[in-house]
Amino acid sequence: MAAVTAAQPRSSKTESYVDNKRKEDIRQANIKAARAVADAVRTSLGPKGMDKMISTANGEVIITNDGATILNKMEVLQPAAKMLVDLSKSQDSAAGDGTTTVVVIAGALLKQCLTLLSNGIHPTVISDSLHKASIKAVDVLTAMAVPLELSDRESLIKSASTSLNSKVVSQYSTLLAPLAVDSVLSVVDPAKPDMVDLRDIKIVKKLGGTVDDTQLVKGLVFDKKASHAAGGPTRMENAKIAVIQFQISPPKTDIEQSIVVSDYTQMDRILKEERNYILGMIKKIKATGCNVLLIQKSILRDAVTDLSLHYLAKAKIMVVKDVEREDIEFITKTLNCLPIANIEHFRVEKLGHADLVEEVSLGDGKIVKVTGIKDMGRTTTVLVRGSNQLVLDEAERSLHDALCVVRCLVSKRFLIAGGGAPEIELSRQLGAWSKVLHGMEGYCVRSFAEALEVIPYTLAENAGLNPIAIVTELRNRHAQGEINAGINVRKGQITNILEENVVQPLLVSTSAITLATECVRMILKIDDVVNVR
Amino acid sequence: MVIEGPILEFHQKSPKPLRVYSAQQSKAKPQGQKTLALLLFCVLSGIRISNFPKHRAYDQVFFLCTKTQSYSPPSYFPWRCVEKILKDDASEEKGERARMASFVGAIAITDLVKTTLGPKGMDKILQSTGRGHEVTVTNDGATILKSLHIDNPAAKVLIDISKVQDDEVGDGTTSVVVLAGELLREAEKLVAAKIHPMTIISGYRMAAECARNALLQRVVDNKENAEKFKSDLMKIAMTTLSSKILSQDKEHFAQLAVDAVMRLKGSTNLEAIQIIKKPGGSLKDSFLDEGFILDKKIGLGQPKRIENAKILVANTAMDTDKVKIYGARVRVDSMSKVAEIEGAEKEKMREKVKKILGHGINCFVNRQLIYNFPEELFADAGILAIEHADFDGIERLALVTGGEIASTFDNPESVKLGHCKLIEEIMIGEDKLIHFSGVEMGQACTIVLRGASHHVLDEAERSLHDALCVLSQTVNDTRVLLGGGWPEMVMAKEVDKLARKTPGKKSHAIEAFSRALLAIPTIIADNAGLDSADLVAKLRAEHHKEGCNAGIDVISGSVGDMAELGISEAFKVKQAVLLSATEAAEMILRVDEIITCAPRKREDRM
Repeated sequence: MAAVTAAQPRSSKTESYVDNKRKEDIRQANIKAARAVADAVRTSLGPKGMDKMISTANGEVIITNDGATILNKMEVLQPAAKMLVDLSKSQDSAAGDGTTTVVVIAGALLKQCLTLLSNGIHPTVISDSLHKASIKAVDVLTAMAVPLELSDRESLIKSASTSLNSKVVSQYSTLLAPLAVDSVLSVVDPAKPDMVDLRDIKIVKKLGGTVDDTQLVKGLVFDKKASHAAGGPTRMENAKIAVIQFQISPPKTDIEQSIVVSDYTQMDRILKEERNYILGMIKKIKATGCNVLLIQKSILRDAVTDLSLHYLAKAKIMVVKDVEREDIEFITKTLNCLPIANIEHFRVEKLGHADLVEEVSLGDGKIVKVTGIKDMGRTTTVLVRGSNQLVLDEAERSLHDALCVVRCLVSKRFLIAGGGAPEIELSRQLGAWSKVLHGMEGYCVRSFAEALEVIPYTLAENAGLNPIAIVTELRNRHAQGEINAGINVRKGQITNILEENVVQPLLVSTSAITLATECVRMILKIDDVVNVR
Repeated sequence: MVIEGPILEFHQKSPKPLRVYSAQQSKAKPQGQKTLALLLFCVLSGIRISNFPKHRAYDQVFFLCTKTQSYSPPSYFPWRCVEKILKDDASEEKGERARMASFVGAIAITDLVKTTLGPKGMDKILQSTGRGHEVTVTNDGATILKSLHIDNPAAKVLIDISKVQDDEVGDGTTSVVVLAGELLREAEKLVAAKIHPMTIISGYRMAAECARNALLQRVVDNKENAEKFKSDLMKIAMTTLSSKILSQDKEHFAQLAVDAVMRLKGSTNLEAIQIIKKPGGSLKDSFLDEGFILDKKIGLGQPKRIENAKILVANTAMDTDKVKIYGARVRVDSMSKVAEIEGAEKEKMREKVKKILGHGINCFVNRQLIYNFPEELFADAGILAIEHADFDGIERLALVTGGEIASTFDNPESVKLGHCKLIEEIMIGEDKLIHFSGVEMGQACTIVLRGASHHVLDEAERSLHDALCVLSQTVNDTRVLLGGGWPEMVMAKEVDKLARKTPGKKSHAIEAFSRALLAIPTIIADNAGLDSADLVAKLRAEHHKEGCNAGIDVISGSVGDMAELGISEAFKVKQAVLLSATEAAEMILRVDEIITCAPRKREDRM
């Protein structure tokens, strides 16, 4: 019986939707709010996109071009708008780049949905069609993609620089892109070639210099100086490094204690005992041949005292203090050593070895660099420099995006053209596909296809080109089979974008489409906002 | 709702008001001169005031009556307003008005959740008014109702039944509320037609019994045929999931849920199924894994992989045991003594670790922190130590590995250790987790949910939980029904028959019951934007034939064969919906007085 009904042409009664006023209002309000969010970030899309200045509640100023950061700091309250913010966060965690794109696509889809809804199409029908369209879109994108080998460093650099080109630091993309590629490649574990843990790449920011001075350090960098008290060494060759989690200071018990001093001679004795105690510890350390100490920060008591620093300096041991507990894992992994939690366990086999540990002056501050580590773990440190805090922060965010892009390529080794080419191609193919579909579905898929044109449109608009002329021209070129024709923003015209080396990972595009669709579908299905506890 | 002044109810033909509802109904006290005058007018002109509220104002009316002397107060007039029985702020509503309040509340709740019913039901945003203005998007009736602010007592009853439904069978939380609401809506009409609530109740009872029998006659039980039963489970899971966020990937998730429940081998202990949510990826990437996953890190320098693990699950403080008496302190007279004490403290920790090692274990999981020092000791002994596992985590871990949670370590032989074949570190998305496989309790498994955002994940978890509940119930009670409004139609038909056979006023109530049942397919159709009147009529015509399988096929928007479409529901769910909705309606109908206690005054803590 079902088969019979399915074969019948769908009557006008089905799939139509009569909504009552309240639900209509709520849906409209949700869509409007979400679109407002999308419009806010729209102008920051693309290489000629503009930046936003955000002044946060506590008076801090952030200048950024990164969609996720802008939305994160916007503090929206409307629930649907919040969902868009979450959407960009998800894109950030899934692909790391394309956080603006995903929001702009969602906004365009919502705009189309508004028209569809006002035509009386049931939201679930729209939602199902969007889902279908997104699956098809992913197929189309995958078909367009170009496979990539990890050994192909050139292509990796190209895609990293595409991501960097839209940022403030774009003029340094020739420096940062290879840097990002090298650092990701150096942490890839041959046992698990698809997995890259970005936590293995540590980014250290240091004010001063210019972004040009950013460098990749094969080793460790601490954003602190070596302890200078009592003139301890600041440079150590053939270093034997110990990471300690105990304190070199007078003993302190967990139970409350007090020392009773009755006369002055006793006082002297106590001081002497204290000295001996510390000296004893340092002797034990020295006995293992250790000459660099990294001391974990301690809240319960002083990790080091002036006295112990003095003795350590005398023993020619370099000290870096106040290492955070969270960093210990990274450090031990890098140095290939074990943390030592008690002086009794201070043994040679727990030490790490490095050719050189030195304190380097950088601008007004100093950093400690550890290089030439023996049996170094799969970690990398990037030292980012910048002339002011704003540039520095933005450089870090951009670098993070670039790292994510490379990571995407490692986990899914396909490249796709940039510059609006994939979107316009999707739009064309889905538009053609929609003509084969029946009923409301075809109608909705066509709207989906139209919505995707927003990306090339916005790209052109932000670059100061005539968006309508460009988009129609693009469509024309794609209809003639040039699937890689895209907007060349630098030249202000349409060229084969693959030849221009504007490429991005496939994962960024596919996840932008699927995530945006998922979010829009969720917003569509909501018909009420209920205030609860 | 605030009404100022009394409401007068007029008869169609008579110019005199029939009844006066005082403004007290809205808790605004009728003190204005106008009210007084109106009341006085009523009393003097001999209009009977039903439900005479007790209030100071009426004392004044009485006073005025005696003052004018020419009129004696009417005989029904409360001579003196009853001494105050209730506290100042407490209020009392009686008779019809009480019933009305219940109806209004219950129906309002029903209308709120009704749009979420069925595969094309809509979602709601729940916006928290608390801190952070958290947002939840959900389609789950129980979740929506649970979080509402409700002041109406009858509405609370409905929320309770939806909670009970959630606990007992897990699904049908919206249906039960909708059915109860529809029953009350019908009852309201009957009450207006002057049928005594008790008559309605007994009619409803008969109808419910009859409906249940009707279902019992049509159930299918495939207990004997394992193959068929499994396909039944799949169908039920798909039907449950089709109204949720997971509907796009319902086959995938139905398979997951069925696999997980089949592992349980008949127990309804859903504790053994662990659901882990990890943002990232898409819903399709979710998977089922045997064993147990703990979202924690392995300590530094410890083995990342252990075979044939012996696990000690503990809840103990790993720092030094402190004297818990306030002000206890040690007096010493030299630094070396302090060092000695510190050494002793360290020694104590070492002792404790040694004792733990004495259990012959190779994995130690603690609920509390393991500090650097013991961590290093464990690392030296080559033991995998996991610190700061959450409560839920270690309880489950103890359950699935068959161990006990220990907090003292003096008698190694009395502590039950957990066992598992393999412990290893795995990576899901960007995070590292610890996987225990080959655990003692074979039925344990973990479902890892992946999804775009937290909203999606939370909602997916709720949906999956519903499906798991229903399935685990179905494994025990293997009777299965068709879905898509089919059970309601079957019941309505039988109940209608009964109504025709029953003499007396009860038959009206029974008829009303059948109408209420029909409301469910109607709402499903309405939510899908279909012409409900047309569809339900068609459906009824189909059901006039014997042994018909017709129900609403929402996808094609027509009447379809539910058996062919594979839309099934568990008998237990339907039965629970039917019985608890009837019971709730009955309970609310019986009410004829609502006493609201005075709110407890908060002491000012200034």
